[in-house]
Amino acid sequence: MSLFSQDQWPTRIPPDTGLRGIENASQLRDGTSRRGFLKASLAGTAFAASMHQLDILQSPALASELKRQQKHVILIWLAGGASQLETWDPKPGRATGGPFAAIQTNVAGVSISELLPKMSQRMHHSAIIRSLNTKNADHGGAAKIMETGRAVDQGIPCPDLGAMIAHELGRADSQVPDYVSMYSSTEGRRQGGSGFLGGRYAPMFLTEQMIPENTSRLESLSELDHSARSDLRSFLANRFREGRPDLSVDSHNSAYQRVRGIMSSANLFNIELEPMDVRARYGPTQFGEQCLIARRLVEAGVPFVKVARAWWDSHGQNFETHLELVSELDHVLATLIDDLEERGLLEHTLIATFGEFGRTPQINSSLGRDHFASAWSASLHGTGIRGGSVYGKTDADGLKVIDGEVNAADLFATIFQAIGIDYRKEYHVGARPVPITDFGGKPIRDILL
Amino acid sequence: MNPTRIFVIAAAMAPILVWSCVVQAAEIPSPDLSISTAIDRLLQESHDRAGIVPARRTDDRSLLRRTTLDLAGRIPTSAEIRAYEQDSASERQLRLVDRLMSAADYAIHFRNELDAMLSAGGNSPQEWKDYLLRACEENQPWDETFRELLAPDQNLEEQRGAAHFLKSRLNDLDDLTNDTSSLLLGVSINCAKCHDHPLVEDWKQDHYFGLQAFLAQTYQTRSGRLAEKPPTELNFKTTSGVEKSARLMFLTGATVTAPEDKRTDEQKKADAEMVRNQREKEGLAPPAELGFSPRKEFVKLALDPANRTFMARSIINRTWARLMGRGLVHPVDQMHSGNPSNHPVLLDWLERDFIDHGFDLSRLIRGIVLSDAYARSSQWVYDTPAPPADQFAVAAIKPLTPQQLTVSLIIATMNPEKIPSSDFHEQGVDPNTWKSFRTELEKKASGTARLLEYPGENFQISVTEALLFNNAAQIQNNYLKSSDERLVNFLSNQWKAQQTQEDLHARSMDSLIQTSFEIVFTRRAEEDEVSMFRNYLLERNERLPEAYQQMLWAMITSPEFRFNY
Repeated sequence: MSLFSQDQWPTRIPPDTGLRGIENASQLRDGTSRRGFLKASLAGTAFAASMHQLDILQSPALASELKRQQKHVILIWLAGGASQLETWDPKPGRATGGPFAAIQTNVAGVSISELLPKMSQRMHHSAIIRSLNTKNADHGGAAKIMETGRAVDQGIPCPDLGAMIAHELGRADSQVPDYVSMYSSTEGRRQGGSGFLGGRYAPMFLTEQMIPENTSRLESLSELDHSARSDLRSFLANRFREGRPDLSVDSHNSAYQRVRGIMSSANLFNIELEPMDVRARYGPTQFGEQCLIARRLVEAGVPFVKVARAWWDSHGQNFETHLELVSELDHVLATLIDDLEERGLLEHTLIATFGEFGRTPQINSSLGRDHFASAWSASLHGTGIRGGSVYGKTDADGLKVIDGEVNAADLFATIFQAIGIDYRKEYHVGARPVPITDFGGKPIRDILL
Repeated sequence: MNPTRIFVIAAAMAPILVWSCVVQAAEIPSPDLSISTAIDRLLQESHDRAGIVPARRTDDRSLLRRTTLDLAGRIPTSAEIRAYEQDSASERQLRLVDRLMSAADYAIHFRNELDAMLSAGGNSPQEWKDYLLRACEENQPWDETFRELLAPDQNLEEQRGAAHFLKSRLNDLDDLTNDTSSLLLGVSINCAKCHDHPLVEDWKQDHYFGLQAFLAQTYQTRSGRLAEKPPTELNFKTTSGVEKSARLMFLTGATVTAPEDKRTDEQKKADAEMVRNQREKEGLAPPAELGFSPRKEFVKLALDPANRTFMARSIINRTWARLMGRGLVHPVDQMHSGNPSNHPVLLDWLERDFIDHGFDLSRLIRGIVLSDAYARSSQWVYDTPAPPADQFAVAAIKPLTPQQLTVSLIIATMNPEKIPSSDFHEQGVDPNTWKSFRTELEKKASGTARLLEYPGENFQISVTEALLFNNAAQIQNNYLKSSDERLVNFLSNQWKAQQTQEDLHARSMDSLIQTSFEIVFTRRAEEDEVSMFRNYLLERNERLPEAYQQMLWAMITSPEFRFNY
């Protein structure tokens, strides 16, 4: 039931930010761009008062458009720093190698740790980067580098990877969140943030519970009243907007316009709605369940999902820790890749695994490995990636990079390029140009399609 | 950044630099003008040059709301609306400003704004908040506050809180350097850490490390006291790889020479041990003060007549930005020759006035809010495109700070009969009643305020905030619950009392709608608004309290409430 006819809604599509340079309302409406298509499709319905009837998942035309063009990223953040030697860059038989063997993968000449047997059979979807040198081996500083892709403080709060991708791929009137960040371990929680891109691109951050806060209606208010009072609000909002073209005011309206969509997307977080066999595949672990939620979110159109898994900081008992954590990673990552592939989503989705740094090749007296940022590994899987590729090389003991050294900016440029974002793009913060990829960063062409 | 880029930007900036020098040379109007006259005269000259006709003056009620939000940090009460309208139209704004600036709200709100500007995020300690509150209550000259922030006399209890500015930044020397420079001097020089600033000719690595050298010796003792280590050398490497030792250098290039370090190695060792003990051990007597304190030297240089333009212009510009929505120089931490103000003469005039009148911030604030420029409408109703924001020809729309918003929410949804009078010029009204009411509001508001984001440059409202207002029980309970304290019940009771005859039905509903609009928006409802809400309410005749709740919800979540416009 709507109180208003459609013509009381703004005909102008509210821009979602002042930072986006080129798009204006007419470009968006002309249907030539991907966003244009989505805007045009949504404009008729989303701006009608009965927004609660709109469910993006039930609109076949929209769903197929999303599948065709929308790209997604799932970042599996290995909080605390996973060992490259027990994952993607094993050194069996060396003093630094530890007790685990290396296994052949389904790509000739590529071996990885024996703790990753399932992934060894999925290397045709994967690229390994073995030559990260990110220099900072302090948890806080290193995490900042690997979250934002920048080594130097820019003097302004910089957005993290998720916020930048949400900004590039998110849609102003999206019915689902643009950036979801899941973390439920008690240690090393890092929310990340949207920095100068603004609150519109801040993550929906889940810690205590897996259903986001304030997405269900209070019981004291009926569905009808909830929607009718939103209509009253919009009436007042539209009056206020007249003669006041202001981006903050627009963001206020667009935030409220997205509420009902976000509320209806709360179900995406409910894995009870998945068939038992699907849940069983991912396994009963929290990490597994979060990756299943990530798949549900991506399927519904969320551009960026981060699943943080802790706590890899194995200063003591490195091998026990990794036996447990890498085995879990192997199972869940392989399941996620299979699931996305079966649903036709892997060709639109990039999965990345890394944390703030790797671990020392030297094994300390507690049988642990310490912080190590000068020669470590990350992995990329899915869209835009040259399957079975390995980039960079460390020396025989893994002490230093001997070929193809790359840094955080290069890794970020590679991710941007893989999902079709121009890595040379610049944001303008007032008069300050801030490139999306930090100065000097270049994509690793060898592992890109 | 590659060299070609720098060249292109530098070349593009060259004409601006030349132009700004020409304007700078223009004559500065007489110091005898009032601040508001100087502002209006100089802005008008700028508008005339640019062929701009500014927006009309906003209506009185909007100006009342705007001024109250800026000076008291909250919306006006209905009693204040009545008092305002009883004043003669020509004196209204003047009397309002004087009344607001003498009320308890003024210092509390001013304190909140300074806290937000100077704190390193998070919850700042009570001692610091008390320090700022006292400085605001006493209208302490800004040069004194500046001195106390950077070199508090910790033997004086009333200055101890000021040390929080430095203490909260001591674990990162770069943060300390950047924040001191950008928050107190209006200059963001962190780009100059690794190389001479790529875009700004003014700032070199020497400046960055020069500033850092003043602060590098400061540490905190275990007992929570600021202290300075005996001299340590601060070295840095230039882009060409040359090792340099930092000199104590201010932004103007002025330097201080530290006395020669004549300590023997043994003394140095003992000093290092002393510092370690001071840092780690409890119960030690405070370290002896050094004969030469780099931090005090810094303050001396910064406040020296030859150099104080930085600290003066920075706080003037930030105060202007707070009230006018944008700095005379924008962004506020980019005050340098490559980013000149569109109104350089005005900035010069304000600087001279500020210095001549003892760094009096309240005087400056009063002058700005009494100007015609401050009183303009935020609505651009003409067919031509709106003038650029740096012309200040249309009032800016400012997002409320979390504390402004939540304090205003309590007032907007309160039973108006439960709000004490703030007009203590009226006979028999005790100013302390209002003061304790306002203090109580601060406390009540802070819980919800913590959930909201503090607005910065390019601020956007997040969907998290919209979800909170839509679905959080605390919004419903704090503001819209049925209780004698709340407006919802007031409206319901009024309705019951008024609704005696059928023909009065619609008319009394209309008057309740008008009451609500006045309380929440400080204005009367327009005809279409009345009819919209009348229909809404009458359709829900059977459950009016809920309908009032929803009406009020729609009003408090409207942008008209969320912004200072």
